[in-house]
Amino acid sequence: MTSEGQQRVHVIDDDPSICDGVSNLLEAVGIQTECYSSAEQFRSSSARVLDGCILLDARLPGISGPDFQDELLRSECRMPVIFMTAHGDMPMVRKVLKAGAIEFLIKPFQKQELLHAVQQAFSLNAEHRKEGAALLSIRTKIERLTEREKQVMAMVTAGLLNKQIAAELEISEIMVKVHRRRVMEGMQAESLAELVKMCERVRFPSWVANH
Amino acid sequence: MAAARTESVPELAFQYALKPCAIAVVFVLVALLWTFPLQHWIDYPFVFLFFGAIMGSAWFGGRIAGLVAVVLSSFLVTYFFIPPLYSISVAAESQSFLAAFILFAITMSFVSSSRKRAETEVRQARDLLETRVKERTADLELSNREIQRSERELRLLTEAIPQQIWRADSTGSIEYVNQNLRRYLGVPEEALLGDRLFKRLHIQDAEQVQDAWTQALETGTGFEVQARLRNASEEYRWFLIRAFPRRSEDGKVVRWYGLHIDIEDRQREQQSLIVRQERFSRLSRDLSMSELAVSIAHELNQPMTALVTHAYACREWASCNPPNLARVSATAEKIVQESTRASAVVRRVRSLFHNEEPIRVSSDLNRVIEDSARLLRDEAIMESVRVVLDLQHELQRVEIDPVQIQQVVLNLAKNAIEAMARSPVDRTLQISTRKANEDEVLVTVNDTGPGIAKEFVANIFEPFFSTKRHGTGIGLAICRSIVEAHGGRISARNEPTRGATLQFTIRVKA
Repeated sequence: MTSEGQQRVHVIDDDPSICDGVSNLLEAVGIQTECYSSAEQFRSSSARVLDGCILLDARLPGISGPDFQDELLRSECRMPVIFMTAHGDMPMVRKVLKAGAIEFLIKPFQKQELLHAVQQAFSLNAEHRKEGAALLSIRTKIERLTEREKQVMAMVTAGLLNKQIAAELEISEIMVKVHRRRVMEGMQAESLAELVKMCERVRFPSWVANH
Repeated sequence: MAAARTESVPELAFQYALKPCAIAVVFVLVALLWTFPLQHWIDYPFVFLFFGAIMGSAWFGGRIAGLVAVVLSSFLVTYFFIPPLYSISVAAESQSFLAAFILFAITMSFVSSSRKRAETEVRQARDLLETRVKERTADLELSNREIQRSERELRLLTEAIPQQIWRADSTGSIEYVNQNLRRYLGVPEEALLGDRLFKRLHIQDAEQVQDAWTQALETGTGFEVQARLRNASEEYRWFLIRAFPRRSEDGKVVRWYGLHIDIEDRQREQQSLIVRQERFSRLSRDLSMSELAVSIAHELNQPMTALVTHAYACREWASCNPPNLARVSATAEKIVQESTRASAVVRRVRSLFHNEEPIRVSSDLNRVIEDSARLLRDEAIMESVRVVLDLQHELQRVEIDPVQIQQVVLNLAKNAIEAMARSPVDRTLQISTRKANEDEVLVTVNDTGPGIAKEFVANIFEPFFSTKRHGTGIGLAICRSIVEAHGGRISARNEPTRGATLQFTIRVKA
């Protein structure tokens, strides 16, 4: 919960009074907000990191809410999205919820509805953030390995025996064992299974025979 | 006679001279020849025979022959039989006899010839008469044949034309129906004579037709009604039934002629046209209404959302420890702003409705109601409801929005039909118009349903009030606002026995 203190809600609505009202309420319960009058304005801002969630009006001038959700999904930004609208038509509601929206709030909404959705979004965001941090540490560890160690790791995770690796790299089996130990140490992996899992998480390319 | 006048001279001579003389000579000579042998036995036998000759001459030869015979006989009698014999002198004692003879002979000739002439005239007159009669008879026969021929043609025509025709006697008993009508109904002529044709009418139209027919028979004026007739395949079609009388010279009705014109297709077309029109106008109204509703909802939703969130925020700021009074007061200010914005939207919407120019067209209210009744036709048939229109003739024209008033009538009528859905018998919907006073007309919609529940009579015109399961409670409220916009009043009451009456007034001048 400590991380939630730094999270904020990005409110995107073309009606300033809505932005004003929502941010006033959220601030009153201790949640920071940023207001944008359009999706484009949000895009051009620096809010690229996972620092909270987006409260998005479905009807916006320029890029519409659902279109902007698509755009976010395609990009690296995985901030959770909460929709709000004055009149939700069912097909649109279904579409955006399927695409991963946290909630669809019908204006005017109650305080509890809004806060509940924001909490959900924040905890999801925290998960994303945790996930992101884990991936980052794996990537850093991989970066620290030498080229030869990366080669050996790719072959090991592909299921090759030491003997086969030695033949493939034209080095002695002893050397393979040395590289292998260094990989396990560098990656802080307890077992081969853990190493394979780590490589899969960051989509590290495993070895493929040339012939 | 005309023919005699043109006769030529020789013919005239023969007619008036030669022929009478010849006849007289022949008769007198015959008498003379008979007198000679007879005189040996009878004294003065010549008298009778010569009288006979004179009578005969006068009879057969005419007056001239008679006179010739008289002269000839007198001469011959004087010469042969009156002493001195064989001389034309007369002895003194025989002179009186001769004179009596001549006198008698002349008289006889006259009597005989005039009798003859009289008889001839009688015969001629009789002949003339006979000829005339013959001529007349021939003429009559000719014209009779002509009449028969034209009657055959006429009958052929009535049998052949595609309309349905019947003929009734002065009491209204049908005595002839044409082929088309027989074929449509699929029964022989005997089954339609008298009043049996009217048994084929739709049960809901029978009374109306019967009334019109009775009235026509009483007043001797024709009528025209629309009614359904059942055909051979048990289907009903709409007909325009028209009857008109034929009068004799003294003005008495001697015959009635009936004509049925099939208007089913026309009726259907008209009906579907009206329905389509109504549907279209309703649709466009619904569409614009729903669009309007959506935009109003959106317009109002924005300030409402802001209001609600600010209100929540206000409470949060106030419940802080210590309360953040600066934020409380700022938020309260926002609440005031948003409320003002919301009421501005409401004001704008209201002005939108008020600005709409009302439509007022001088209309025949009866016509509007007849159109409405036509629209109700299918529904009424489906629910076995009899629709009776009791429209006052020569009703004042009213300045109305016909579409709106029709909506009111339809709405009231449909409610009435629905109300009667559970009535076991005699489902009658009556719509009537009356002149209420100089400025107002009254429209009444009456049903034979269970009536309105007592506790609801007072508020059935309130918006969102409904006794129907899926009712919106808008219909009668709209009716009331339409009627009031027309300067009228709408009211509802229960009839003492059964059924409900809904009525409204309309001002003649908008």
